[in-house]
Amino acid sequence: MTSYQSRLGEGEGIADELAESQRSISIAEFFEKNRQMLGFDSGAKALVTAVKEAVDNALDACEEAGITPDIYVEIQEAGDYYRLIVEDNGPGITREQIPNIFGKLLYGSRFHKREQNRGQQGIGISAAVLHSQKTSGKPAKITSRTEQHADAQYFELIVDTDANEPEISVEDTTTWERPHGTRIELEMEANMRARQQLHDYIKHTAVVNPHARIELVEPKEHLKYERTTDQLPDETEEIRPHPHGVEIGTLLTMLESTDSYSVSGFMQGEFTRVGQKTSDDVIANFNDRHYGREMTWYGPQSYEDSVVSTGQRDGDGEAVEMDVARAVQQAVSNKGKDATAEFADAVASAVSETGRVAHGRLEAIVDDHADRIEDDYEKTFGTTVREAAIEAAWGEITADRTPDVYELVDDVTTTRKDDAAVQGIAERIADKFDDDGPNRVTYAALEDYVDRAAEMTEDMDDATFGETARKKIVDALWEVAAPVSDDPPNVGEIADDRDTTSDLLEAMRETDIIAPPTDCLAPITAELVEAGLKKEFDADFFAASTRDASVHGGDPFIVEAGIAYGGDIEHDQAQVMRFANRVPLVYQRGACATTDVVKSINWRNYGLDQPGGSGIPNDAAVVMVHIASTNVPFTSESKDAVANIPEIESEIELAIREAARELKSYLNKRRSMQKRRKKENKLATILPEMAEKLATVTGNERLDIDDSMARIMNNVLVEREVEGDTVRVVVENNDDTNADIDLTDIVTAEPRATNGANVVEMDGEWFVKWQTTVTAGDDAVLEYRIDGDAEFDIAVDGVEDEKLTVNA
Amino acid sequence: MSTDSNLNEAEAREQLLDLAADFYDQFADGDVPTMQIPTRTKSNIEYDEDKDVWVYGDRSSTRSAKTVSGAQKLLKATYTIDFLAQQLEEDRSSTLRELYYLSESWDLDEAQFNTQDESNNLIEDLEIVSEVKREDFHMRPEESGAKVMGPLLLREQTRRGDREIHCQDDVGQGGYQIPNNPDTIEFLDNDADFVLCVETGGMRDRLVENGFDDEYDSIVVHLGGQPARATRRLTKRLHDELDLPVVVFTDGDPWSYRIYGSVAYGSIKSAHLSEYLATPEAQFIGIRPADIVEYDLPTDPLSDSDINALESELSDPRFQTEFWEEQIELQLDIGKKSEQQSLASRGLDFVTDTYLPERLDEMGVL
Repeated sequence: MTSYQSRLGEGEGIADELAESQRSISIAEFFEKNRQMLGFDSGAKALVTAVKEAVDNALDACEEAGITPDIYVEIQEAGDYYRLIVEDNGPGITREQIPNIFGKLLYGSRFHKREQNRGQQGIGISAAVLHSQKTSGKPAKITSRTEQHADAQYFELIVDTDANEPEISVEDTTTWERPHGTRIELEMEANMRARQQLHDYIKHTAVVNPHARIELVEPKEHLKYERTTDQLPDETEEIRPHPHGVEIGTLLTMLESTDSYSVSGFMQGEFTRVGQKTSDDVIANFNDRHYGREMTWYGPQSYEDSVVSTGQRDGDGEAVEMDVARAVQQAVSNKGKDATAEFADAVASAVSETGRVAHGRLEAIVDDHADRIEDDYEKTFGTTVREAAIEAAWGEITADRTPDVYELVDDVTTTRKDDAAVQGIAERIADKFDDDGPNRVTYAALEDYVDRAAEMTEDMDDATFGETARKKIVDALWEVAAPVSDDPPNVGEIADDRDTTSDLLEAMRETDIIAPPTDCLAPITAELVEAGLKKEFDADFFAASTRDASVHGGDPFIVEAGIAYGGDIEHDQAQVMRFANRVPLVYQRGACATTDVVKSINWRNYGLDQPGGSGIPNDAAVVMVHIASTNVPFTSESKDAVANIPEIESEIELAIREAARELKSYLNKRRSMQKRRKKENKLATILPEMAEKLATVTGNERLDIDDSMARIMNNVLVEREVEGDTVRVVVENNDDTNADIDLTDIVTAEPRATNGANVVEMDGEWFVKWQTTVTAGDDAVLEYRIDGDAEFDIAVDGVEDEKLTVNA
Repeated sequence: MSTDSNLNEAEAREQLLDLAADFYDQFADGDVPTMQIPTRTKSNIEYDEDKDVWVYGDRSSTRSAKTVSGAQKLLKATYTIDFLAQQLEEDRSSTLRELYYLSESWDLDEAQFNTQDESNNLIEDLEIVSEVKREDFHMRPEESGAKVMGPLLLREQTRRGDREIHCQDDVGQGGYQIPNNPDTIEFLDNDADFVLCVETGGMRDRLVENGFDDEYDSIVVHLGGQPARATRRLTKRLHDELDLPVVVFTDGDPWSYRIYGSVAYGSIKSAHLSEYLATPEAQFIGIRPADIVEYDLPTDPLSDSDINALESELSDPRFQTEFWEEQIELQLDIGKKSEQQSLASRGLDFVTDTYLPERLDEMGVL
């Protein structure tokens, strides 16, 4: 720089010289140099990111085509490099599109869609190609077959970074055993140090995509995840943007490309949740910003009896009418005395009745009466006459604005304000309005008037009007100003002017509009979240929850949570699995809103071990959170962590708590069952010994203590009594809750008179099925008859084994 | 409770076995075995106006096999009943401590006692529920009864035959040893005017050395801290059968007042035997807090636990008399306590020459 600067005085050539090295850079070139922004920072991470991009694409493609995905991922050692192969059974890609999709950055179908998808920008897979060519120098090898074609297309290509265009080195057809699908093969400098993250990514993908079969073959391991459901995620509807979610650039583009002419049509046609009413509201707000409002004034006053210096109004309606009438009468000529007089009086009296009059209102009044007089007197009141009348009347109305302003200012300022100061500021504000013209003013302009007037008053009258006082004055003035009835500019005009567009955007934002619809989202659903967890974790307990949709920044979102507990899960720090739009988030765990929320919850409340009462719980648990949104707010382009948006955090917390409540009741129950088992074990050693001792001491026969045991354990006791041909099965509920008993008695003789129990015969055995509810502390009896001897085999369902004693 | 007559072994055994039979029947009916015992706390003792002693009130707790600890207690009770029945059958006896160690030999771990308190309490439970006294189970406490010195001739049944003993002439300096079951004693003759129960061994020895029993015709009973049942029983019998007034002489602190309380009113733990053990007419001679002031005795300050104990005595139904309320309030007020031996600050003979005669006179005993 110094050398250039030293020559600056010499006058010419520097800028030209600099210009020679100034040129635009292509997106491909930019990301080639900034691969870390896309998650290709290290060899280890690059491999995971490449797998992730390829698998995400594959899943999206399959789902879009309604195909249950079969994804095959292979990583091979290839000399100094690693070779990554990802195959799917998707619909395939047409020959024309293959080079663009893999060899061009920012090429894709989703960027413009407001719909829940894994990929969005169309950067990922081509960035992987870019990374591979950069580190290994080898082209990407792509094979794709669409269903209609017998042959598959085969390409070898790289990204031409200067032009951000694909550079094809080989184009051929080949045979492929898959009926349809796509295969990509990349070689890159990489390492397997992130093996754990890679496995996590694949495993977690399998959890949230229970409809997919995913296989990973890498040099050391082979993982395979079968699909657990054939049910594809619901197809998402693309939604139009929500007015609260767009930005100025988007709005400009939309204005330029719309077919609508009017703002109203544009609003209703291009946005979601906008109907006539909302559109009117937006336009009213837009007009306020764009045109401003028309200030209103009272008509002229009679000051004969009032003290002018204080500006106190003491006029009466008649004075107003006289002044206005006189002025209008003088302004109208050649219309005949009677007609002129009646017209003038009518206008004057209407003005007087209106009170504060805006210019637009005055125009309407003049037009109304002119039309009427025209009819009555058969005189023509042309535009010139009307305009003259309006001007004359307006002149009278605006002759002295100060008292009108004074009245408002005095109303909203405290009584402590010096009257002279109030009068002063009122005068100065009044002066800001033009003498003629409709006195249109925007809120911002009003603020400016009041600010300037307040500063002047401060200087001249030594009285301060603070921010609050100024705001109150502005609001009072804005309140009395009348909205204009002009039509807003048409769409084309708005699009041409950035400021006008900005007015429209502001108007949209300040209008209350209902939240966007949620059929653009495809949550996994609580049921499948649970199924996914069950597939991957051999746990004792699973719970899942799906929240209702919420909105942040115009984008709807749904949060789902799942919890797995116990079983084979290691008793260590709980695993937190994070997902956004069905994509596992592998890196930057600590920066993610999900992790923060999990840490903030008091897990001890839910029965999990949490040292110190905060942080990730230390227990045999897995917590998973899925956020589905048309626009998941990530902390960076590499999409590793969800940003800390309060609305989203709150939903995450509610979703987790919902699932955790189920965990709590499970754990409570489990603990009480454990206690009960322990108690029963203990009692089962003590009581028989006691009974035996009692028999010895008393010299009586040995005791059967089953019934006592059942009562002691608050058990449901099932007993059989056979008396001749009558069989009685007694169910005694010693518990303090009701028991729903489902009982099957298998009898070797035909039962009769079964009192409502159902009998099914099978191979010479009769199944007596009986359902009953036994209230706490009560008993119920099943009675039936048999002929002769029989053997019985009873099965009782509906009561936990720990709580059941069968003595039949 | 049949306290008037002693049960013979067969009867005691029968009552124990009845208890076992109750448990047996509860099992046989498919019910949950339970045992009801009066709550043994100070809030559940009440004054029996007919018998003039403090007995258990209506509140009771239930040992039930519904809980593990309850079942374990019942199991231990069953084992103990078995043991006691056998002991009675063989006409042998054992000490409470022996019972505790003996349980170690029971094959079932759950039936064994964890502490001696546990076995002691169980014996008390059985006493209450079976209405048989421990002595009739042939259960002895470890420590024997205290010693008696005074003009009293008695006959004791021993395992080696009956012995006639005069409690001054036939005994050494230590006095006559009260047997574990004083009901085996028969009073033959006496010259006594009153019974003096003394808390500490030191003071008893002082009285004996000074010949107080001789000079004042007094039966000196050594309590030795919280008096054993045998001591209390003998005291009661001396009062009831020989019609002798009983006075109690202890230290001037809250723990000693409880010693007096158990002699006069019965203890909380054995309120079921109050009628048999307590001597409601026994009077407290001192050291009273008033004596501390009156005789200007050397003192120690009350500790926190002393104060708590005094306050707890204020809410103890047995101490709700005008005398005790006044004395306890006074002691709390002065914040001091004194031992019996502190009387020695006025000379070794002060207690026998001055203090006791003055107090006995005041109380109308002499």
